[in-house]
Amino acid sequence: MIEQQSGEQAAGAVAAPTAGQTGILIAKAEALSRGRTRSHLRPDEVAFLWVSRIIIWVFILAVIVPIALIVIASLTAGNSLLVTSVIPSNLSFEHWRNVFDPKQTSMLIWLRNSAIVAGSTAVLSVLLVATTGYAFSRFRFYGKKYGLMALLLMQMFPAQMSFVALYFFLLKIGLLNTLQGLVIVFLGGGIPFNAWLFKGYVDGLPRDLEESAYVDGATKWQAFWKVILPLTRPMMAVIFIFVTIGIYNDYILTNFLISDPSKYTVAVGLRGFINNQFGQNWNDFAAGAIVAAIPIALLFLIFQRWLVSGLAAGAVKG
Amino acid sequence: MATSARATTPRGRSRLGDSLYAYGFIGPAILAMVVASFIPIVFTIFVAFTNWDGYHNALVQGFHFVGFANFQEIANSFQASVLGVVIWTLVFATLSTLINFGLGLFLAFLLNNPNMPERNLYRTILILPWALPAAITILAWTGLLNTDYGPFNLMLSSIHLGPFNPGHVPWLTDPNWARFSVIMVNAWFGFPFMMTACLGALQAIPTDLGEAAEVDGAGVMTRFRKITLPLLRAATLPLVISTFAYNLNNFGAVYLLTAGGPTASGSSSGATDILPTYTYNLAIVLNRYGLACAYSIIIFIFIGSLSAAQMKYSRAFEDLER
Repeated sequence: MIEQQSGEQAAGAVAAPTAGQTGILIAKAEALSRGRTRSHLRPDEVAFLWVSRIIIWVFILAVIVPIALIVIASLTAGNSLLVTSVIPSNLSFEHWRNVFDPKQTSMLIWLRNSAIVAGSTAVLSVLLVATTGYAFSRFRFYGKKYGLMALLLMQMFPAQMSFVALYFFLLKIGLLNTLQGLVIVFLGGGIPFNAWLFKGYVDGLPRDLEESAYVDGATKWQAFWKVILPLTRPMMAVIFIFVTIGIYNDYILTNFLISDPSKYTVAVGLRGFINNQFGQNWNDFAAGAIVAAIPIALLFLIFQRWLVSGLAAGAVKG
Repeated sequence: MATSARATTPRGRSRLGDSLYAYGFIGPAILAMVVASFIPIVFTIFVAFTNWDGYHNALVQGFHFVGFANFQEIANSFQASVLGVVIWTLVFATLSTLINFGLGLFLAFLLNNPNMPERNLYRTILILPWALPAAITILAWTGLLNTDYGPFNLMLSSIHLGPFNPGHVPWLTDPNWARFSVIMVNAWFGFPFMMTACLGALQAIPTDLGEAAEVDGAGVMTRFRKITLPLLRAATLPLVISTFAYNLNNFGAVYLLTAGGPTASGSSSGATDILPTYTYNLAIVLNRYGLACAYSIIIFIFIGSLSAAQMKYSRAFEDLER
């Protein structure tokens, strides 16, 4: 039955140039309207499917192999650099233990610092961005148009390229070499882009929501805080994650503004760690890199759908 | 926020009351932006006209204006070293963007096949490099590509195909290999974003368009060229332009992998230096803070004008007229 079906379709496809136009069109339209299940695929569709699969498998291999090499390195005993087999013969968790042992490596401190800076900046950013985006979406006020234009202009300039000025600024206010200083510096940078995102999201919510809250006697702040804000949770999550990932990945500013090793973040700490004595540190580094990557990867994968739509919205709006 | 005017009645809105309330809402963010973005940018312009460097420490001696001397120096050294950096910046950004977009589009096209029941599994695996924090990933790549001890070379050198033995490839230590590696690693964690974006754009194209064309006798290639591609271009061009602007300034992708090197002795710039890494090294290695700020301004103008062009294209400004 299956053979016969696909045979018929193949015959139709091959005969297309020679047979009468009308008959072919009807046959094709029928084939399309039936909605092909897997067993009804034409031979050329089967061929395309399998060629696609093989190409995709090659790319999957290219994605998996580097990750696997890191995992293997983290599980190999001693400071052996040789990858001998897929499952290391001298399997050991010593490098994982080293990551969590403050006497062996400083990775826990770096992770903690990254979590503090990224987490507190992200929370503050969400608050600032939400109020700003909401005001630009809902309120009419003097200077609104120029304010929006300023937001767009600000986001065009790569703020981290003013690292020399930021150094001087933090030095002057006495926060150079502190985690608080980093939070202040990072807080300003991401606001324009994210406020723009948030404004777009609130624009899509019906105004009736607040109007009915006003009728019930709510103040503007209550209408925002109790009615609108809970509805914007997806966008708040997106902004929280954008900010967190951005700070987690920052090297240029953190490295320039922080010189005390006990204040290093993961990116700065790990770079120094692997650049000094590569052979000795490689396996510990591998375990540390995995530990450092897991929280971000989980955040990302859990909120994937929201992140993708958020990014798309941001890209279209500039 | 609580300090601003009390809520006006919903119907009889006074513009002034509304304004005060709005300023209360946006005030904290404005303050943060002025402090952490605006003032530093203005101060960067200021420092660019001073001679702050290792010999003239502005923190001790105060700032000393030197007019356009830093910009003069950039113009003078342009032929010698900076031209190469500018060219590589453009080559890197162009190749990276095209390769990432090409790979992403290609894979999205393959994955957008309703006959492939397991395509969501593939998509999830292929998205992994994007999910991992880029800085950590790039650092891991410096280890994987280490010439003497890196797993890649250890695997390669164990392959013996008769007289051919790939041996130790100088991935990050030879100028041309390093350029190749920077683009390759950037593609490794850059293509999933493009793939996801293209997949979204492809899925947004109504299928009946293609089916109608198929009924009319259009082949696979014709349908792709006449229907898919034009619709895809509209959806992804703003994305491609902003990725290009991003790559011009993709400090991490270069600095964390090669730190701009390898650097030939006597040269101020490395083989993989893009403008931001070159600027950073001017400050951090040579302590040429004034000069670095002058370069920063050039990067601001460079990327700012690109972003402006992109926004003009995506018509973001039209939203403001509402």
